[in-house]
Amino acid sequence: MNIVNIVVAYKYAPDPQEATVSSDGTVDFSRAKAVVSDYDAVAIGYGRRLATACGATLVGVCVGGPQSAKPVATKAALSRGLDRVVVVADDELETAGSTRTAQAIAAVVSQLGDVALVLAGDSSMDVAARMTPSVLAGLLGWPMLSDVETVALADGSAALERLTPQGVQSITVALPAVVSLTSEAWPVKPPGMKDLLAAGKKPVEIKSVADLGLTLADEGTVVSRAKLGGSARLGVVIDTSDPAAAAATLVEALRAAGALSEGGLA
Amino acid sequence: MPFQLTDEQLLTRDAVRQFAEAEIAPIAAEIDRDHRPPLESIPKLAELGLLGLVIPEEYGGTGADSVSFAIAIEELSRVCGTHGVLVEAHSSLCTWPIVHHGNAEQKQKYLPALASGEAIGAFGLTEPGAGSDAAHTATTAQRDGDDFVLNGQKIFITNGGFAKTFVVIARSLLDVPGVKGLSAFIVERDTPGFQVLEPERKMGIRGSSTTPLAFSDCRVPAANLLGREGEGFKIAMQTLDGGRTGIAAQAVGIAQGAFEAACAYAKERVQFGQPIAALQAIQWMIADMAVDLEAGRALVYQAADLESRQEPHSQASAMAKLFCGEMATRVTGKAIQIHGGVGYTEAYPVERMYRDAKITEIYEGTSEIQRLVIARQYLR
Ligand SMILES: Cc1cc2nc3c(=O)[nH]c(=O)nc-3n(C[C@H](O)[C@H](O)[C@H](O)COP(=O)(O)OP(=O)(O)OC[C@H]3O[C@@H](n4cnc5c(N)ncnc54)[C@H](O)[C@@H]3O)c2cc1C
Repeated sequence: MNIVNIVVAYKYAPDPQEATVSSDGTVDFSRAKAVVSDYDAVAIGYGRRLATACGATLVGVCVGGPQSAKPVATKAALSRGLDRVVVVADDELETAGSTRTAQAIAAVVSQLGDVALVLAGDSSMDVAARMTPSVLAGLLGWPMLSDVETVALADGSAALERLTPQGVQSITVALPAVVSLTSEAWPVKPPGMKDLLAAGKKPVEIKSVADLGLTLADEGTVVSRAKLGGSARLGVVIDTSDPAAAAATLVEALRAAGALSEGGLA
Repeated sequence: MPFQLTDEQLLTRDAVRQFAEAEIAPIAAEIDRDHRPPLESIPKLAELGLLGLVIPEEYGGTGADSVSFAIAIEELSRVCGTHGVLVEAHSSLCTWPIVHHGNAEQKQKYLPALASGEAIGAFGLTEPGAGSDAAHTATTAQRDGDDFVLNGQKIFITNGGFAKTFVVIARSLLDVPGVKGLSAFIVERDTPGFQVLEPERKMGIRGSSTTPLAFSDCRVPAANLLGREGEGFKIAMQTLDGGRTGIAAQAVGIAQGAFEAACAYAKERVQFGQPIAALQAIQWMIADMAVDLEAGRALVYQAADLESRQEPHSQASAMAKLFCGEMATRVTGKAIQIHGGVGYTEAYPVERMYRDAKITEIYEGTSEIQRLVIARQYLR
């Protein structure tokens, strides 16, 4: 099997366990220590196993503000089993959303070349939008599979098992591809002492938005935030094999529930 | 001088904390209640690299610096004092003297197994008649051909129940009284004539195995002499210099665990219509505990850093041990006070922490002996 690079996209983000929630429900991350999220540690651990099995290099790619490039941040990621990391650290990326983050990862993946697989965790720990891998795959023009439990690499393809609400789905996909793993895909353990001490000796590349020649997309501006009202599950199952009929039934059901107005989303 | 931890030291704290909370916290109360040594933890401690912290990489260890070591002991002790002393005695008291005084053959023979957890280490200095006064060691090691023949008894030996490798101090120069007649030996558990006796039932660190050792015509090969004959006391004292910093770190960890429990309880417990954390009486205790902890931690890192840089550190480690031992007893006592009645019950961890803290004022040199060491430096 000839696989040169496997990339793991990871985020260095505030630990939600250290965030405080005030009585009005707002979450304060300002005093939370930044960490490599547990979800991303799943992807790194899984990637380490795949890379070792096929002799590939496991490259971590991280996008964020300047603190993502601090030695303590890169060592934290490297100690989990990456061979090297590329960090795109820029003031402009401090609050980057999925689109800009994916733009930067795509640029690094293109520069690296010979990337067979990009692994990502289930979601980021702080924002949890679960969109970055999809946007990334779109930018690269690669397939994207989410909720993946297992990956078996072969020449030019990968066999995956996806966890869906209906059960486990087995899929074969041509490489390169973007895959996000479930939080259960790999048992995360703390890095060993030897890995911690070795981390500082591994290569780290730090790039800015300008280094990558990127023009960051407009991600829109949050104008206001409102708390969601209480939500309830209606438990409506649309059981049909005809996608057009399913869509029509869904629209009907949303309208009936008052979630759709004539113009679109209520 | 503000002490700045390195990235590796910060990450060591994160990793050991994560490990301790996942693997050790769940069994801490049970091993205490049952006086049960946590043997199941040994492979896990080894996997994380915590049994080889003071062992160089070439012998399968991590070769971590002394501050990282202190942080690891602190984080284990934060959830369980027993695990703290298991690793501390193994590393500081048995492994360290072999690393620093062993010859190439001894290191090759013993260190890889100590790093991998295949062998746990113990250190035998104390005897029924020689506690603080180690110069009165009565265990003898008489030269006979290629062997030394050991006779005598040791007491209170940490890890005794399951250790495979013991560093033992005995009098080999029989006509030389006092400290100059003592030598250090590596003794394997299965040596004929060597017996580990029944463990003590203790007030705290109850999962730690503390046993007497008996030597009866126990033949130890001369190849197992550590350092030169007559260097036993020097080796023991140097070993205890580092060990004291480790015990001080254990004390800080135990106190930290109790402090966090007290803060959490103070915010939850409502009396007179408000959380007790709103009462100034409670706030003052919390403030005093926080200052005590920070002062203790600073002394520990200072002593450990001196040791890492191979600077003299007897004084610093004696100060750290003295302050932190007494500090841990104070802080865990206040943690019980903040809990009120429930703090005195087994339903909350602070009573265990209080019992665990007390030993840090006694072993590896009592607080009185630390004061003696410290004062001597100023009154020479
Ligand atoms: C749980 C546990 C684990 C232990 N683990 C080990 C181990 O692994 N290896 C090992 O070798 N030993 C170990 N010890 C022994 C420990 O180090 C001794 O108990 C300690 O050094 C005190 O000695 P002692 O008990 O004989 O007390 P003593 O020396 O009899 O002291 C009694 C009291 O007199 C005071 N005192 C004694 N001399 C002086 C002095 N000159 N000036 C002022 N006050 C003085 C002491 O401070 C103390 O208050 C352990 C002990 C315990 C309880």
